[in-house]
Amino acid sequence: MSRYITRLRMRRTYKWNGRPVGEDRKLKRQYYESMSISVEGKTEDATVSLGQYILIEGDDDDNPFVAQLLKLYTDDSGKKKTAVLQWFVRMCEVPQNKRKLLGRDPHPQEIFFYQDRSCDNEVDGETILGAVQVGITAPATPRTPRHATPSIPSRTAPARKPGNVLEEARARLHVSSVPESLPCREQEFQDIYNFVESKVIDGTGGCMYISGVPGTGKTATVHEVIRSLQQSAEQDEIPHFRFIEINGMKMTDPHQAYVQILQKLTDQKATPDHAAALLEKRFSAPAPKKETVVLLVDELDLLWTRKQNVMYNLFDWPTRRNARLVVLTIANTMDLPERIMINRVASRLGLTRMSFQPYTFKQLQQIITSRLNRVKAFEEDALQLVSRKVAALSGDARRCLDICRRATEICEHSGSQKNSSGLVGMSHVMEALDEMFSSSYISAIRCASVQEQLFLRAVIAEFRRLGLEEATFQQVFVQHQALCRVEGLQPANVSEGLTVCQRLGSCRLLLLEGSRLDLFLRIRLNVSQDDVLYALKAD
Amino acid sequence: MCVSVYVLCVCLCVFLHCVCVCVCVCVSVCVCVCVCVCVCVFRHLLELLRRTAVHGESNSVLIVGPRGSGKTMLLGCVLRELMSLKEAQKNVLLVELNGLLQTDDKIALKEITRQLHLENVVGDKVFGSFAENLAFLLEALKKGDKSSSRPVLFVLDEFDLFAHHKNQTLLYNLLDVSQSAQTPVAVLGLTCRLDVLELLEKRVKSRFSHRQIHLFSSLSFAQYLDVVRAQLSLPPDFPDPKFSDEWNHSVTKLCEDKTVEEILRRNFNGSKDFRSLHSLLFLAVSRVSVSHSTLREADLIEAWRLISVDSKANVLHGLSILELCLIIAMKHLNDTYDGEPFNFQMVHNEFKKFIQRKSHSIHKFEKPVVMKAFEHLLQLELVRPVDSGVCKVQREYQLMRLMLEHGQVMEALQKYPQCPTDVKQWALSAFG
Repeated sequence: MSRYITRLRMRRTYKWNGRPVGEDRKLKRQYYESMSISVEGKTEDATVSLGQYILIEGDDDDNPFVAQLLKLYTDDSGKKKTAVLQWFVRMCEVPQNKRKLLGRDPHPQEIFFYQDRSCDNEVDGETILGAVQVGITAPATPRTPRHATPSIPSRTAPARKPGNVLEEARARLHVSSVPESLPCREQEFQDIYNFVESKVIDGTGGCMYISGVPGTGKTATVHEVIRSLQQSAEQDEIPHFRFIEINGMKMTDPHQAYVQILQKLTDQKATPDHAAALLEKRFSAPAPKKETVVLLVDELDLLWTRKQNVMYNLFDWPTRRNARLVVLTIANTMDLPERIMINRVASRLGLTRMSFQPYTFKQLQQIITSRLNRVKAFEEDALQLVSRKVAALSGDARRCLDICRRATEICEHSGSQKNSSGLVGMSHVMEALDEMFSSSYISAIRCASVQEQLFLRAVIAEFRRLGLEEATFQQVFVQHQALCRVEGLQPANVSEGLTVCQRLGSCRLLLLEGSRLDLFLRIRLNVSQDDVLYALKAD
Repeated sequence: MCVSVYVLCVCLCVFLHCVCVCVCVCVSVCVCVCVCVCVCVFRHLLELLRRTAVHGESNSVLIVGPRGSGKTMLLGCVLRELMSLKEAQKNVLLVELNGLLQTDDKIALKEITRQLHLENVVGDKVFGSFAENLAFLLEALKKGDKSSSRPVLFVLDEFDLFAHHKNQTLLYNLLDVSQSAQTPVAVLGLTCRLDVLELLEKRVKSRFSHRQIHLFSSLSFAQYLDVVRAQLSLPPDFPDPKFSDEWNHSVTKLCEDKTVEEILRRNFNGSKDFRSLHSLLFLAVSRVSVSHSTLREADLIEAWRLISVDSKANVLHGLSILELCLIIAMKHLNDTYDGEPFNFQMVHNEFKKFIQRKSHSIHKFEKPVVMKAFEHLLQLELVRPVDSGVCKVQREYQLMRLMLEHGQVMEALQKYPQCPTDVKQWALSAFG
């Protein structure tokens, strides 16, 4: 027998509270502010007023509708009461296909603002059940990934500006504060400028290959060229053009190049194959009013594929008559076309090449001086020392700037102790050079434990005995035990010996084979024997 | 281990003292290491990160040091100090990556996006392919600028593993952002390899600022003893001051004991790092109980014995007599043929020689039984084939090597329970 639950229907009486607050003669309505509901059997009356959230009789006694009361009025006779509402819906009332738009799981008692003209928002006032509490959560507009915009949140307080001279110098010496015009690259600037300008003015296409070791100002110079060309274009001296930049290292796959170029040109998203087809169409089709496109391809060597079709296309498109595409490519090696490109690709790249030489010490000095401008923070000798040192090693401007920055930090730190003029001097620069150029193997060996040092000695002894640069752990261990006895220490057992060996291997003072080989793993030194002996001799 | 200690605490409150001691020793670990790291190193790193957080200056630095030298601890201390600065607290975003967890740039990128709560993350799920994620992140970082974006601190643990990813894409991009006028970032790498810079590609190396902080322990033995004493002592806020005084007094006396000093010196000679010290001290302190509530030298001696035991010793103790005899036969072969590989047949012959001539107590085992014993030794990897590939040679004639040292075998024999005398004598004799 099924259980039948009956509910008593409570009789409700509705009464207006107070006098009418407004009247509409035309519609013959009288507006009230609040209404009181008395339920049979309950002593207290419930009151609902405008602006409150109320429950309305629904199909189901357990799930009444929720709404916000906007207006209450009655007609001329005073018998019919009407309420104007703003409806809210529960999640279960939302159609299935719209539920995913929320993007998250709804709270079981969550209700949502309903804005739909299909639903009547005027109801009989006598269906109102009573007031209800509704809490409002912050309207978190969950963005679906399709409309996501990339951004990093902003600071609560703005960044502090540099305070003293050294801080100012440090800010200027940061690699990212690239000056408007790069010193010591005037000739290169001019060559690239002429090339691109002539292509833009003629409305033809072309390729250029720029090479140079890292830190020689290639990308910066090209950006400078483009900036000044854009300024010319704005002053209508040359026709307008578009500038696009892609970087081989910033892509996960060479074929993404097509996707990125297409997106930057036309804001379209496509798969690599489709993007390639669209670009092909674009660069082959004639279009008399097309703007020249200047494309910068950084880190070209990463666009290499086995069939080299990405590179082929990039160099082939400028050769089409209607393409109006100028491609500037940057890489590190001078002979990249000869080494990795097949003939047809290399020939399309052409012979317009430019090589950026590493900076000489004079140029580095000039770069730093021009960066600092009027800020007097360095002594002359200090600057010379840094420039010479870096020029001798790599000629990398980034290295030079970083060392100078570190020197200013050291100066600032020791500023409280020294009585010097507050300028960055030789001692600070030498300390910075020491830090940034040093190889730490010697200090690592000096700070190693006794057994580790003995093990290194044993390795050298075994190498000398065998006349080779390689020995097995077993052979070295025998030597190690002998050395322990000589030093008067208790000889280690095999496990301890292996632990010491592994510790030296993890720092890469020794090069080891896999430890599965146990006693027979081969050991090689990662440091020269002289360095080891020098480090061990000092104490 | 601390959890199980707490469970004990609940059972009997009598144990309270001893348990508290264990816990306190564990807790004092964290404090002491910070002290031992040079203060100027701490200041240098803190200053660097402060400049990124407050002035918006991008930087990159590598912290290099052997295992257990306190790199992660140093970074943790510096970050805690940094977050206590008012200006940095609300402003800095932190992303922590580990080379062992993020084995691939794709996974690393998803992790970065998740930790930064970028807009292509819904809940915990990151949408988009690898290429899309990279483009999204780079776009987000590019839009920022020095004065108005929140600086991001990227911490890369096991930095050298990131250098093995394809093209070093992640490293290139992070370091490139740190050298461009974009969102200020600080890239902090932690590694134990001294040659980490050689792993970086030339373009990535050029973008790295070559700042390195080396954490080499230059402790002398006297300082090491002080650290031990400090670590074993109970802190002044221990609830029972009388017990705490007694304990600290006993610890001081213990550290002056000769045997204990010898043990600590041997540990110090082995390696200077604190991890091995803590394993030793923890084993010693775990032996403290209700019946003896102070640390004694016997505890340390036992702890040292457990730590320094040879790893193959226990295996050897569990072997049967036959297997032990085979090992001795192999040892003799090694001595005779100067470490050249041998095969089962040779070992069997050697064993037969012993049985016929010298032995009275060992049963004359059949060849298949001896073969089985030999195969057991192979399973235990006490004996390994010279070439581990598929061999066309019969099992008995495959060349093998003994993975035990002379000293290990002799030591095992000494401690082998109820070893027959003729076996021992055979082992000790020079001519087999």
